[in-house]
Amino acid sequence: MDALYNTHVKLLAFDFLKLTPSPTDPSSFFRRGKRLSRAETVGIVVTRDLKPGKFVKFTIDDGSGCISCVLWLNQLNSSYFSRRNPSDVRLIAQAATDFASDLQLGVLARVRGRITDYRGALQISVSDVVVERDPNMQILHWLDCMRSLAMLLARILDSDCSASCARICGVER
Amino acid sequence: MATSAVSFGALVTLEELVPSSPQFTQGASLRVTGKLQEYDIETAIASIVEGNASLKIDTQHLKVNLHIGSLYQFIGELLIDPSNQAILRARVGRNVDGMDLNLYHQSLQLLRGFQAEQMNSTTS
Repeated sequence: MDALYNTHVKLLAFDFLKLTPSPTDPSSFFRRGKRLSRAETVGIVVTRDLKPGKFVKFTIDDGSGCISCVLWLNQLNSSYFSRRNPSDVRLIAQAATDFASDLQLGVLARVRGRITDYRGALQISVSDVVVERDPNMQILHWLDCMRSLAMLLARILDSDCSASCARICGVER
Repeated sequence: MATSAVSFGALVTLEELVPSSPQFTQGASLRVTGKLQEYDIETAIASIVEGNASLKIDTQHLKVNLHIGSLYQFIGELLIDPSNQAILRARVGRNVDGMDLNLYHQSLQLLRGFQAEQMNSTTS
């Protein structure tokens, strides 16, 4: 089983936008041969489009690119949730509403969710949002992303690229 | 490759933003960081500084409380007049007091080198 498949993998937008969809599984995406389904990004909210009771679409700019995100707000009316315990659905809906109110233009947000493909465009279908008050969290996210990719490259590639990336990030090969 | 409708703000330091630099382009989307030195309430034009460099920021579209002496980060588009004076028309802005600027600059260089390596591996 792919170790990263159910993990929210920290990705730079630059990297996220290079994911390739699996031809056989709509919930899977490939990055350097590794199968992923979930991602985490940290960046500034630069667009926000709220449709109350339906969704909020927003964009995260992390300095290397922009990632489109959608946070669904229709849990109480959705047939997808109709079979679940109503009190659980109300909790999920309340959490989503709270996340939506946190997502204001200009805030630094940590967003996690499933990677989805909507009409050929990659996006994150959001499960969690945390507004980061510490401005250094953006920098930490860059370093985390670079380090994790360098480690991945060190394992799967034997190339000048992986050697250079590993040297840049101080990762032993 | 998937793309977003809005352009991301390319990371640039104020000292790098000189007329000879490739980022000094009309309409370029940039992310800049600096200390607020001046703010004109009537025109909503702010001036931020970083080291010996400064940049004017048009903040009329922002809902940010601005305090002289605090550190801010803005994302927006660069407007250059015929005399090569530049102003950033900001779309978003945030207070980044507490940001470790040494770490920021070092990480910025690291990120650029990393992205360049990735691009080279893609094209080679």
